[in-house]
Amino acid sequence: MKCALVTGGSRGIGRAICVEMAAMGYYVIINYKGNEAAANETLALVKEKGSSGEILKFDVASKEEIASVLGSWMEANTDKYIEVLVNNAGIKADQIMMFMTDEQWQGVLDTSLGGFYYVTKQVLNAMLQKKYGRIVNVVSLSGLKGLPGQVNYSAAKAGVIGATKALAQEVGRRGITVNAVAPGFIKTDMTEGLPEKELVSMIPVKRFGTAEEVAHAVGFLASAGAGYITGEVLSINGGLYS
Amino acid sequence: MSNEEIIEKINNFLVEEFETDPSKITPDANLKETLELDSLDYIDLVVVIESNFAFKVKPEDFVGINTFQDFYNYVIDRVNTKELV
Repeated sequence: MKCALVTGGSRGIGRAICVEMAAMGYYVIINYKGNEAAANETLALVKEKGSSGEILKFDVASKEEIASVLGSWMEANTDKYIEVLVNNAGIKADQIMMFMTDEQWQGVLDTSLGGFYYVTKQVLNAMLQKKYGRIVNVVSLSGLKGLPGQVNYSAAKAGVIGATKALAQEVGRRGITVNAVAPGFIKTDMTEGLPEKELVSMIPVKRFGTAEEVAHAVGFLASAGAGYITGEVLSINGGLYS
Repeated sequence: MSNEEIIEKINNFLVEEFETDPSKITPDANLKETLELDSLDYIDLVVVIESNFAFKVKPEDFVGINTFQDFYNYVIDRVNTKELV
């Protein structure tokens, strides 16, 4: 059975991506760190799309949890093959560099950059063997442009962009594409509290984006037809930065 | 699996995966040069070994493997070790 694994799939953009994967016919593995109720809501939405899936709890910042939970899942489910991996899980710990704590720096890097590395490593081998795979990393406008107050987040996302381009060149010959999407301001819990009115005035499209619009782009990059697009970063920001 | 069977299996997948002329594969020939392996080709080599013999290959395993015979010896050794476990 062909599966799509979406990290941080319980809420926001991750949830919309899970629904998109379900609409594409994938069995969806919804990873979450703590909010089981939200993960189950996502699973219900996946089922509404006529597909199936399951929730899988592990913290992408922990290589031990990835190895034990995801590794064990893969061993126990040899009939299921993760064809699509969406590295979406991320956290914010905004602070200007002057006041940033080591924990804020390390925590954000461990989740975004470390998470990308350890989760991808776990599933890559099977893709290499099958000679097919789609890896989509959810990065951010921050990783392209840099945003003040997000030195940690910008560094982590820029790191993932570099890794996306490098890995794409390593595995292209085996039918695996590696791309990234870089959302700008999207209406989710993560952007709540931002001065929306002020920000919207700078966005050519004059509104925040929706999680579904990001998911649509992820779905495109994850599709079989996108096989000649790799190492690319697709901005989804209403024209804010290009 | 006998040593001869392992060698035959290796030769078959090398010919298929790297589109090599079978007559060029001799025990004393240089593996890297014969198969024209660059560093990224090792991904393919590791994948075919792991999928055909079901053991994990480490990057350092390739240190000291120069000829096809070295490569056969390595795989035979790993297959036999695995069978003992």
